[in-house]
Amino acid sequence: MDFMHKENLIQAGVHYLQGSQACAEGALTAGCSVYAGYPITPATEVMEHAAWRFPQVGARLIQMEDEIASASVLLGASLAGAKAVTATSSPGFSLMQEVISYAIMAEIPFVIVDVQRPGPGQGYITASQEDVMQARWGHHGEGSAIALAPSSVQEMFDFTIEAFNLAETWRTPVLLMTEETVAHMRERFTVPPRESLRILERKKPQDLGIAPQDYLPWGHDTVSPLAAWGEGYAFNCVGLVHLEDGNVTKYGTEMHHHCIKRIKDKIDGHVEDIARLETFFLDDCEHLVICYGSVFRTAIEAVREAREAAGLKIGLVRMVTLWPFAEKKLRQCIGKTGTVFVPEMNMGMMLHPITEALRDCCDRIIPIPELGKLHTPELILSTLYKELQ
Amino acid sequence: MKKHPMLKYLKEQGPQGDRLPLIMCPGCGSGQVLNFIFMAIDHLINEQGYQKDNFVFISGVGCHARLTSHYLNFDSGWTIHGRTLPIATGALLANPELHPVVITGDGDTGAIGGNHFIHACRRNLDLTIVCLNNKLYGMTGGQSSPTTLNGETTSTNPYGNFEADFDLCELAKTAGATYVARWTTAHPTKSVKAILKGLENRGTSFIEILSQCPTHFKQSPSQMIREYKEKTVRLEKMQEDDAGKIPIGEFQDMRKPDWSSSYRKIVQSVQNKTIQD
Repeated sequence: MDFMHKENLIQAGVHYLQGSQACAEGALTAGCSVYAGYPITPATEVMEHAAWRFPQVGARLIQMEDEIASASVLLGASLAGAKAVTATSSPGFSLMQEVISYAIMAEIPFVIVDVQRPGPGQGYITASQEDVMQARWGHHGEGSAIALAPSSVQEMFDFTIEAFNLAETWRTPVLLMTEETVAHMRERFTVPPRESLRILERKKPQDLGIAPQDYLPWGHDTVSPLAAWGEGYAFNCVGLVHLEDGNVTKYGTEMHHHCIKRIKDKIDGHVEDIARLETFFLDDCEHLVICYGSVFRTAIEAVREAREAAGLKIGLVRMVTLWPFAEKKLRQCIGKTGTVFVPEMNMGMMLHPITEALRDCCDRIIPIPELGKLHTPELILSTLYKELQ
Repeated sequence: MKKHPMLKYLKEQGPQGDRLPLIMCPGCGSGQVLNFIFMAIDHLINEQGYQKDNFVFISGVGCHARLTSHYLNFDSGWTIHGRTLPIATGALLANPELHPVVITGDGDTGAIGGNHFIHACRRNLDLTIVCLNNKLYGMTGGQSSPTTLNGETTSTNPYGNFEADFDLCELAKTAGATYVARWTTAHPTKSVKAILKGLENRGTSFIEILSQCPTHFKQSPSQMIREYKEKTVRLEKMQEDDAGKIPIGEFQDMRKPDWSSSYRKIVQSVQNKTIQD
């Protein structure tokens, strides 16, 4: 995307911003030209910053009447060729599921930032990781979205760009699952020089020499090129079960199976390419902490302390990508282990896929839940000491 | 055999075979309305130099929505029930050169998409809404919609509808749409002209077309079309004793800046301002 006023993009160098602001800057840096949103605590700061910054570079921003509308704008904008983003919090994320479902089926890329808050209902407005299952299972039907979990202001910037790259690469909605902790945090972060940034653009049929009459919106490759409205492809986007060319009237159960399997395999068949983990102290570890998002900040402190002060041989795995779930990578990196601790800002959600993945390679799995606020290192440490000493 | 002049705007074939016929019931008004839209667009392309590639059809869910299925020879999105207007909004934000033609129905616009409808009109986005009002939910089998008349019997009002019906044109006008008209399938020329004016208007245009559903009202199409003549009255000729009749004609025709022009001014006013962390 060529902005009219590219010179007004955030400059390379060191900045001191809120996580929400870094996220909006990351979106612009990734070439996002459309923002649509609806105010909701604790996600509003993303839109407030975007409302100030998007017009400065010539990108468009609109405040919609609700979150369903906001997500729908992303769908239309993406179909017309733009990178588009919204930010919301958990109740708004629930409303967006309908659009996410359509976008998974029609394979339309965009990015949704969920600054999670506790639920159910209005719940509360503080920190939470209670939408991690909604990110995977909230939409109706098969197919999975991709979800990332940043843990710092730097990552709010970096992962927003990464989210767009994944969305464009895999032609699917990508969810940035963050928390109030990081969204409201102010921290130093670095914007790399523009030439060293990795910014990916979607494949278009004209770039691959595919003529409009031969264009298969859902069939040229694992990820088919996506025609933009207004570029002469007479692209009929459908959310119904379809053939590769978008034909919807030749329905049959075999065609149905093929259509859904293709969409599912696109993500689930490429977990190794998509999902990322970060590992710490695995060489000698006998026990393990698995975490994600801002909990990583205190979990790494607790693990260091347990190793240094108490000599516990404990390692740490931090899930960068929540979905698709990196089961194979997780199993490979831990081998055989004793006790696995899972601190989460919920009552134990990622605990379920973790338990499924490690069922035969650890002795026991212990959740460390916290609600409404980030774990303290002491909370994690006290559990480690209680169980291991 | 001589082909229909508007057939060029449909895809008879795709890479994987036949795309026609349309799935509408015999006597349905939807095909007529699609023809009206094509005639208006055909005029704009041939007489006024509009680019065919810039038209994009967007629909939600319902019988009317099937008009933007896989057989349109235009860019199109057969999308989510009620969400057509935000989707069209997104398309316009991404590419202000597009001419979104939003095909919607009385349920899609008046019920599930009601809030989006109000706000799209308020924003005066440059898009044209063609609402096929058949006064019930056809695709799901003939349930009441917000425009079902009081006293009408439907499958969800087996004892008769006791609620008031919505006047979608009055709603659009009040919400701020800059061109608003209502016609029927019994008024083809007026319908085409209204759609044409709507497409030319740089702002939100709402054209409601009463469109017969002979299947669920269990009447003959010709009888229903005849009734559209008998039960309607031109807005400017309304008399006191016309109270039970449906007003047709232009409800609004005015100009004010559309969303994109206003936004462009904002962008111009902030340009060259430096970033402050």
